Amino acid sequence: MSDAAEALVEAAGDGAAPRRTFELEDTGFLEVPKRWRRFYRHWGGPDDELGPNEVVCPVCKVVIRSHRELRPGDKVYCMPCMSRMVVVARPDGRLEAEVIY
Amino acid sequence: MEPHELDQDDFIAQVQSFEFWFEAVEGYLGDKPYGRDAEVPEPPLDDLERDALVTTLCNYCVGEAAALEASSGLVRLAPNHHAQIFLATQVADEARHLEVFLHRLAELGITDARAEVERRANPGLLAFKERLLRFVDAGDWEAAVFAQNVVLESMEDTVFRFHASVADPKTQQVLEGVVADERRHLGFGENDLGRRLARHPEDRERLAAVRAELDPLVLRSFEEAYEALGLGRDDRPSLGRDYLHSVERLGLTA
Repeated sequence: MSDAAEALVEAAGDGAAPRRTFELEDTGFLEVPKRWRRFYRHWGGPDDELGPNEVVCPVCKVVIRSHRELRPGDKVYCMPCMSRMVVVARPDGRLEAEVIY
Repeated sequence: MEPHELDQDDFIAQVQSFEFWFEAVEGYLGDKPYGRDAEVPEPPLDDLERDALVTTLCNYCVGEAAALEASSGLVRLAPNHHAQIFLATQVADEARHLEVFLHRLAELGITDARAEVERRANPGLLAFKERLLRFVDAGDWEAAVFAQNVVLESMEDTVFRFHASVADPKTQQVLEGVVADERRHLGFGENDLGRRLARHPEDRERLAAVRAELDPLVLRSFEEAYEALGLGRDDRPSLGRDYLHSVERLGLTA
C-alpha cells in the first residue's frame, strides 16, 4: 500500500461497520488519462502489501484503488485493461477481484 | 468521481474511445521517440549477444506484423462502433510496435530488415500467423479475437515482460512501452469474448477446439522465443501462466 492515508470514516446505513475512506495520491501510473491515474498503481508482485482499498486486477496485474475501503460485492473497473470486476473475499479473509463479463 | 462509479455502458464507451487511447499513450510515450528516452546510450554487446538480440527482435516483428494485419482486418468485422474504434487504436499500437522493433534492428546495424526477418523467423510463429489471418479472412470474429487478443497478446506479454527484465536499457524501455499497450489488447479480447460466451455458451465448445488447435503452435512459439533469448529449460518463466488463467476464466479448458 503506497499512500492510503486514512482520512475519514464513512457512515454505513445498513448496520455494517462504517467504511474507512482514503485520500489517493498519484503514484506515477501513466497508462490512463490524468483524471483517472490515482485510481491505479503498478503491482510489486506477491510481496506488495495491498491496502483495504486495493485489489489486483487478475487480467493485467495492475492494482485497482478506491477512495473507500473495499468490501465483497463492490464493483470495480480496471481501465488499463478494460475489465469489470466484483470484489470477493477468500476463505483466509483476503480480498480479490473476479472478472465479470 | 471514481471510475468504479461509471455506468457499465459509459465505462466501455470511454475505455474503447480514441480520446482515452490518446491521453493514455501520451502519458507514457509522449516524450519517448521510438519508445525510449533519447539519451539512452547504445549498450556494449558482443557478437553473440547482438546476434541473439537481432533474432529475438526479428521474431517480435513477425508477431507485430501478424497483429497489425489481423487487427486491421478485424475493424471490418467489429460488431459495433466502440469495438471498431478500439480496434483502430490497436492497429496504431501494432504499427508502432513494428516500427520501434525495426528501428531497434536498424540501430543494431541491420540494413535489410525484411530479408533478416524472413531468414530468422521461427516456424511456429509463422504457422500461428497464417492460422490467425485465415480466421480473419474467413470473417470468424470470435476465433480471430481469441487467437489474436487472447493467445498472441498473452504470449507476447509474457515474453516481453521477461525479456524487459533482462534486456539492455534501450531494449528494456522499448519493451515496457509495448507491454503497457498490450494490457488494452488483452483486456479487450478477454472481455469481448467473455460477454459473447455469457450470451452464447454453446460457442464455448467451438472456441475450445480452436484453442486445442492453437496451443501446440503457442507452446512451440514460446519455446523458440526462449531459445532465442538464450534461456536454458530451468531458467524459463512458467509458460503462459497468464494465458492459462485467461482461458480458464473464459471456460475454454478441455
